[in-house]
Amino acid sequence: MSDIKTLAIERLNILNPEYRDLIEDIVVANKKIYLSLKTDKSQVDKFTKIKLQIEKELIGIDGIDSVSVSLTSHSDSKKQAADPKNITKGISEVKNIISVASGKGGVGKSTTSINIAIAINKLGFRVGLLDADVYGPSIPKLIGGKQKPKISKTGNILPIKKYDISLMSIGFLVSEDTPMIWRGPMVITAVNQMLNDVEWGELDFLIVDMPPGTGDVQLTMAQKVPMTGAVIISTPQDLALIDARKGIEMFKKVNVPILGIIENMSIFICPHCNKESHIFGFEGAKIEARNKNVDFLGDIPLEIDLRESSDIGRPIMYSKSDSIVSKKFLDIAKSVVNKTMSTSKSKKPNIIIN
Amino acid sequence: MIPENIILSKNKKELTLAYGASNSILSAEFLRVNSPSAEAKGHSSDQKKIVSGKKSVSINSIEIIGNYAIRLIFDDGHSTGIYTWQYLQDLFKEKDEIWKEYISELRRKGLNRG
Ligand SMILES: Nc1ncnc2c1ncn2[C@@H]1O[C@H](COP(=O)(O)OP(=O)(O)OP(=O)(O)O)[C@@H](O)[C@H]1O
Ligand SMILES: [Mg+2]
Repeated sequence: MSDIKTLAIERLNILNPEYRDLIEDIVVANKKIYLSLKTDKSQVDKFTKIKLQIEKELIGIDGIDSVSVSLTSHSDSKKQAADPKNITKGISEVKNIISVASGKGGVGKSTTSINIAIAINKLGFRVGLLDADVYGPSIPKLIGGKQKPKISKTGNILPIKKYDISLMSIGFLVSEDTPMIWRGPMVITAVNQMLNDVEWGELDFLIVDMPPGTGDVQLTMAQKVPMTGAVIISTPQDLALIDARKGIEMFKKVNVPILGIIENMSIFICPHCNKESHIFGFEGAKIEARNKNVDFLGDIPLEIDLRESSDIGRPIMYSKSDSIVSKKFLDIAKSVVNKTMSTSKSKKPNIIIN
Repeated sequence: MIPENIILSKNKKELTLAYGASNSILSAEFLRVNSPSAEAKGHSSDQKKIVSGKKSVSINSIEIIGNYAIRLIFDDGHSTGIYTWQYLQDLFKEKDEIWKEYISELRRKGLNRG
C-alpha cells in the first residue's frame, strides 16, 4: 500500500512540482486514495481545477478504484482532513458483532436490541444496529419513522444516525408498498448487502436484530454474518423457553458463542401499588441458563412505558434514561460488554509472520 | 473453530491455520481467488467474477477482525476480503473440489493463473 502512496506523490510531482507542497494528507486504503490539499479560500476556482487535474492523474494508477481529493483551508483543515477510518465500507472496522435472537417471535428482540444499542453507546462505545429481520423490519418504527439513507461520495450507503448510533434496516431501503416476498437466498443477499455495502465505519459494537425463529434462514444467517457472539431473548414462559433452547442449539451448531440469556417481561410491577407479579412464570430463563451452562445477562420487567416509548419511536433508554427499565438495560449492556470482552480476549489466535 | 496460530510462510505464499494438533494449509493464490469480499463476489452467485492471473500473489499482512475473522492484505492491493473462521474451514474442507472447479472455469473462459 505504501508504495502506491509514493507513486501517487511522484506522479503529482511530475504533474506540477508545486502540488507536492499542497499535500496535507494522503492515505491509501481499500483501493482508494484519499488526498487532502491545503487551499486558499480566495482561490476556489483555481483549486477546483487542480483537484480535477489530480483526480484524473491518480485514477490512472494501477490497482486504484477511486480517488477523492478534498480541499481544506487552514482554519478548518483538521476537521476536513481525509480520514479513511470514517469512510470504511462494510464491516472491516467493526470490532464486535453481536446478534440478538430468539426461538419464538414477539419476545422483545427488537425492543431489547435498540435499547441495548443505545445503552452500550452511553457506556462510551461506538455502536451500530443492523435490522436483519427482512421479513418484518421494526427498526424504522422504533426510531420514529422511515428515513432515506444518503449515498456517500464513493457511492456507498450511509447508515442512518439517530440517538447517537448508526442504523440500517431493509425498511429504509425498500418502500413500504413493495411487497416483500423473500426467499432464502434473497434474504441472505439482502443481509449481506446491509453488512458490506453500508459505510459502517469504525464501530466497537454492531448489534444485529435477528428475525424470529430457528429455521434455515436463521441458520444460514448465523453462518454468514460474522458474529462475535449471540444473545438469546426469552420470556419466562415455558413455551418461549423451549424455543430459546432451540436458539442456543442453533448457535452452537455454527460455533457462535452464546454470550447469555436475557429474560424479558420477567415481572410486572404494578404502577399503582408497586406489587411485583410473575405473569409469565418465575425465573424460568435464569434456571434455563443455569441448566444450559450459559450466562444470565439480566431481566427486563413488563413495563407499559417501555411499550409506549417504543410505539412512538422514542426508545426509553434515550427518552427516560433514569427509569427503572433503563437502568436494567444499562446493567445488561454492561454484562454484554464484559462478556464480549472476555469471549474475544480468550480466543484470539497468534499471528506469526516468519 | 478459532485457530490457535495463524502462520504466514517466509515467502508469504502460504498460510497455515493451526487448530491444536491439526493444520490447514492454504495458498495465497487460493485465498486470493476465493476472496469473500463483496466486490469480488458480486451480490449474487451469477454475478460472481472469476479472478485470474494470481499465481504469484503473496500476502503482505494479516489483521484480526473482532474474534470472528481475519483480513488478508495481498500484494496486488486487494484488502477487502474478510475471511471468517467458518469460511476458512469450509475452504479447507472443500479445497480440492473448489480448486478443480476454479481451474476448469479458468479454462472455459480462456484465462490462466498468470
Ligand atoms: N418488557 C416489555 N414491556 C412491555 N412491552 C414490551 C416489552 N418487551 C417488548 N414489548 C412489546 O412487545 C411487542 C413485541 O416486541 P418486539 O417487537 O421487540 O419483539 P420481537 O421479538 O422483536 O418480535 P418479532 O419476533 O416479531 O421480531 C412490542 O409491542 C413491544 O413494545
Ligand atoms: Mg423484531
